Amino acid sequence: MQTRKPARFTAIAAVLAAAAASATAAAALLAALFAAALCQATTLERMSLAKMAQTAPLIVRARCLANSTAWDTSEIWTFTSFAIEESWKGAPPAAAAQLTVRLLGGSLGNLTSTVSGVPRFHPGEEVILFLEPTPRGDFSILSWVQGTFRIRRDPRTGEEVAIQDTAAFDTFNPATHRFVSAAVRNLSVEAFSAQVKSALAATPGEKK
Amino acid sequence: MKQACSILVVLVLSFSAISGAEPLPYAVDSTIPQSGGCPLPNRWNLSLSSPLNRRWSTALPTLLSPTILTVSQQNSPAQIAEIQQTISDSFAVWAGVAGTTFNSNSYPGLLAPITQVSAANSCTDDAENNVDGLNTICLNQSSIAFTSGVLAFTRTITANAPGATVGSSAPAGFAGQILDADTLFRNDGQATFATPGALVTPQGQGAYDLESLLIHELGHWLGLDHSAVIRAMMFPFAPPPGQFLGDRPIFTVPDGPLADDDRTGIRAQYPDPNDTLNVGALRGRILPANPFALAIFPAPSSAASVTGIVGAHVVAVDADTGSVIAGTLAGWRCDPANPPTRFDGSFDIERLPLGHNYNLYAEPLVGLALPADFSDALSDLCSTTAAPTCQTPAVNTNFNVRILPTSQ
Repeated sequence: MQTRKPARFTAIAAVLAAAAASATAAAALLAALFAAALCQATTLERMSLAKMAQTAPLIVRARCLANSTAWDTSEIWTFTSFAIEESWKGAPPAAAAQLTVRLLGGSLGNLTSTVSGVPRFHPGEEVILFLEPTPRGDFSILSWVQGTFRIRRDPRTGEEVAIQDTAAFDTFNPATHRFVSAAVRNLSVEAFSAQVKSALAATPGEKK
Repeated sequence: MKQACSILVVLVLSFSAISGAEPLPYAVDSTIPQSGGCPLPNRWNLSLSSPLNRRWSTALPTLLSPTILTVSQQNSPAQIAEIQQTISDSFAVWAGVAGTTFNSNSYPGLLAPITQVSAANSCTDDAENNVDGLNTICLNQSSIAFTSGVLAFTRTITANAPGATVGSSAPAGFAGQILDADTLFRNDGQATFATPGALVTPQGQGAYDLESLLIHELGHWLGLDHSAVIRAMMFPFAPPPGQFLGDRPIFTVPDGPLADDDRTGIRAQYPDPNDTLNVGALRGRILPANPFALAIFPAPSSAASVTGIVGAHVVAVDADTGSVIAGTLAGWRCDPANPPTRFDGSFDIERLPLGHNYNLYAEPLVGLALPADFSDALSDLCSTTAAPTCQTPAVNTNFNVRILPTSQ
């Protein structure tokens, strides 16, 4: 039987927060220690909001209704149905009020399929999705977590904000020692909608 | 105003063993058995009689512009050899970590030789039964799973119950056993990938480093999820085109590209019973100074409540070198004798090298990494179908911490 010996330690991170910036400072310290300029998800190509808006044929605000899993094309897929609340770009076939999103992975029987970078949804959750049709007649999410924006409601003000699932795509600039965020994080849905409309109005290929 | 709403937290540390009720160390993918119970880490069940089979498809994209950049001439045997060397080196990075049963020096024979297949659709053929128990890397595999912007992904199949099997795999010995892993790279020319030699060429400046992406994806093969440590290979972001992460592996330091956090993670996933160095552990709980601050979090299951900070990133830093040795996603524990998962703020950092001093801190997932980056690791903690059921509560990002100087 293995004997586990305790590690020696000196300081205990602790208690008593006085400054809201402490955690951020810790993250900055980490970044400074390693000074790695990172900006891409391992499996994803970084895409600007403008590029995503122009690439996705369908952009909707929707509410998650239900999830199901099934074998298809010899893979386990999770099928999530959404009720469309608003269409920001394009329209679903036959002006349907609902659509189904298929994403790789899920549990079925005695097997679980796991793919990192695939978003999952809970019934009742409201989201804004950048969608692409699949050859199977349903939809997938453009760039998976990157094309997924969760809607949260501020409990005090009631304001709705959008948070991109890849809002952690910050870039640490070793030269300036600053983080640059290119993702949508706690942006009011109204302002986000305006950004999408602006992107759609721009000439394709125009840098935003 | 945000400060006024923040939660003050207390870290309660323990160095005694918490038998049978530990949170999982590190952010690993896990599986709740089909019959219910606690989440079990996803891992391979390797032995000399059942080594990790590894193969790759030598079918390369046949586009006008090369998708796989190599120093060797395109479509030549030398190009195949160069790509295979990159694949082999990427595996060797993980197999070079001391203190694990995955180490090829300590446990030779657990990695089967890398073999080649010629069919492009060797990973997941939309027309065939492809969950085959054969672990394959595909550079020219089409899949309807790809959408715009997706460069590469790894899909693993794990058993929810002992006895489960796929294709040629032997029946699983335990829930959470990985039975099949496949990695697919985009093959339509939207992105190019370069071997280390080709990355330094002018053409390689616009390409992604194949080796960095492979090492990260192979981490997923082994059951590791993303890490919030910025330098870690399992950090959810790859280097931009033309750059690579960490150091290149060399003969004397085959695991050079990894960060200590990666090494500690694989040690926890595949601990070497003969390892006497990396056996330190830090365990404890993260609690709000005011427990009423947790009242807003809905109960994860009946007769249970959220009693600690959920989803904090807890990090152990070598006090002498400043190196991040390990980080973990904290906030829960599960007693096999009394499931389901309880969200009490527990954390567990294992496989730390002895003889070092560590500073420990906790941070909310509001900066470089966000809860969404760990959605798999978090959602896997509860089952909504296998009794006793529960639901993972929302990650608590509304707290502050402060690190006390070592002199205090």
